[in-house]
Amino acid sequence: MADYLLEVQELETTFKTAEGIVHAVNGVSFGLKEGETLGVVGESGCGKSVTMLSVLGLIPSPPGKIIAGQANFFGRDLMKMSNEEIRAVRGAQIGMVFQDPMTSLNPVLTVGRQLTEPLMLHLGMTRKQAEDRAAEMLEIVGIPNAKDRLSDYPHQFSGGMRQRVMIAMALSCSPQVLIADEPTTALDVTIQAQITDLVKRLRNELGMAIIWITHDLGVVAGLAQRVIVMYGGYIIEEAPVNELYANPLHPYTIGLIGSLPRVDGKEPERLASIEGLPPILFEKPRHCPFAPRCKWVMERCWNENPVLETVAPEHRVACWADVKKEGPR
Amino acid sequence: MADNNNNVLVRVDNLVKHFPIMRGIFQRQVGAVRAVDGVSFEVKRGETLGLVGESGCGKSTTGRAVLQLYRPTSGSVLYDGVDLTKVKGEELRKMRRKMQMIFQDPYASLNPRMTVGEIIREPLLVHNVAAESEANERVKELLQLVRLNPAFSTRYPHEFSGGQRQRIGIARALALQPSFIVCDEPISALDVSIQAQVVNLLEELQNQFGLTYLFIAHDLSMVRHISDRVAVMYLGVMVELASRDELYNNPLHPYTQALLSAVPVPDPVVEATRKRTILVGDVPSPANPPSGCRFRTRCPIAEAVCAESRPEFREIKPGHFVACFFAERFLQ
Repeated sequence: MADYLLEVQELETTFKTAEGIVHAVNGVSFGLKEGETLGVVGESGCGKSVTMLSVLGLIPSPPGKIIAGQANFFGRDLMKMSNEEIRAVRGAQIGMVFQDPMTSLNPVLTVGRQLTEPLMLHLGMTRKQAEDRAAEMLEIVGIPNAKDRLSDYPHQFSGGMRQRVMIAMALSCSPQVLIADEPTTALDVTIQAQITDLVKRLRNELGMAIIWITHDLGVVAGLAQRVIVMYGGYIIEEAPVNELYANPLHPYTIGLIGSLPRVDGKEPERLASIEGLPPILFEKPRHCPFAPRCKWVMERCWNENPVLETVAPEHRVACWADVKKEGPR
Repeated sequence: MADNNNNVLVRVDNLVKHFPIMRGIFQRQVGAVRAVDGVSFEVKRGETLGLVGESGCGKSTTGRAVLQLYRPTSGSVLYDGVDLTKVKGEELRKMRRKMQMIFQDPYASLNPRMTVGEIIREPLLVHNVAAESEANERVKELLQLVRLNPAFSTRYPHEFSGGQRQRIGIARALALQPSFIVCDEPISALDVSIQAQVVNLLEELQNQFGLTYLFIAHDLSMVRHISDRVAVMYLGVMVELASRDELYNNPLHPYTQALLSAVPVPDPVVEATRKRTILVGDVPSPANPPSGCRFRTRCPIAEAVCAESRPEFREIKPGHFVACFFAERFLQ
């Protein structure tokens, strides 16, 4: 498919642990279109972060291992690149923002030094040019007195400001893709609103495509155009954002949306909870990974792992049951 | 807050908790972090009072100061008419049976070297309410109560998931049959699908035993779900308190309004048309809070008077308290 900017196919990643080999990502395929914002949703351990780290070649190996898969980006497979080659892509064409801005910034280097380094490395700017560009980027992400703050260290910034610095850094080389892994999870809601507002503004101004990884279905609702839901290392549902929230078809997605209270609208007496725990997969299951917690589980779910099927335009779901009919699809 | 009748279980008056800042080799006090700076509220019997605010607003310190886990700098905490700030030693220890706490981090709040049975049994033995054999029976009952297998009592905390550990913490809190429980962010470390399980359990236990909760959280959606009344804190002071529906439908303090508008709603159709009040800047340091109204530096409607004096926490309509000079503007 030529209309994807980044296309991941059949990605499989495992981790070697003391208890055995954990199958973190089990054959994940998806595409990212130019200029779109793709939300990737799931709980801890569902494989959402590992998927993106695998694509970026950031999986520590060992213990991690990419068993199979391709990631096509401008006609080249990121998986087959040497360390040198992928390093040239990271930072320059694909920017990244992580959850914890304190640990992703180097505490002993000034913010200016950290911002100018990629500019000089990837774009071949002189120090002077890079400093001007760094100050401009800090201004764009809404840091007051940007020029003076280049000589400050990360600890001199608040959590929200540090995340702005991270975003400035990720976007400084004008990447085509921004991958943001839980970028607002560590922040307070009023600061989270500032950051999502900033990302929306930058998206309109700069036009990059975004992959936004989060466990928060609320943030995704306001930000993404398309959403992927992951569970146990599989994509279990994928749909345009309005379709997913109005018409969720996988029992896990339905449970997840039902278990969320809201600040607006009618308040349910009791939250719909999903009983049981998310799985840790020491072997690739032959059954549906959600079967042990599923309300609609059938005989077939224990014998065959469902594959993603297109059930409506752009709406894919991996489930043998048709929850609308309360029976098999 | 002149509600003296018998349905008030906890009454907090002008509670202050300052943490000293020490400097130099003689460790002289050079200032204070004014974590809680004059907070008053009541918790009624059998209700859940939600206490919300962002990091550093003093909500957890308030919860701990109510239970005397931190001794308040000044102010009083009346529990069933007894001023806890004046009680100490053995007498306070006896009072503690009635008041328990559930902590945020289920990984840090359970002793990793004790079995689950020992953890839940400990309060029973410490308070001499049960003999060894009786206590073991009670542990089994408690585990069943929080929907855990009684056979788990010989296992260690690391063998459990976050949600299960939080259930163990709840069982420990219930061991002494308390009437008042401070829940300090009990679900914020848990995954979304597990949060609903724990909240449903807390609600069931409340109905079964007539418990009173002070539910501290930063998640405004969850607080709306579980609370009867909700109080909002900002930088050590309470800015608004009202019944749940009143607070979420007609917030009168500009901070509450901004806070509510910042919470994302899991509905793309609503999100697309929602108006947001985005606050500028960060929360100031509680060691050096702004003069007058604490919120004035970020407030969209602040005027000169806000810097001069601190707005009184006043009852603007029955049961609805707010600390803002201009709250009348938002009255419907």
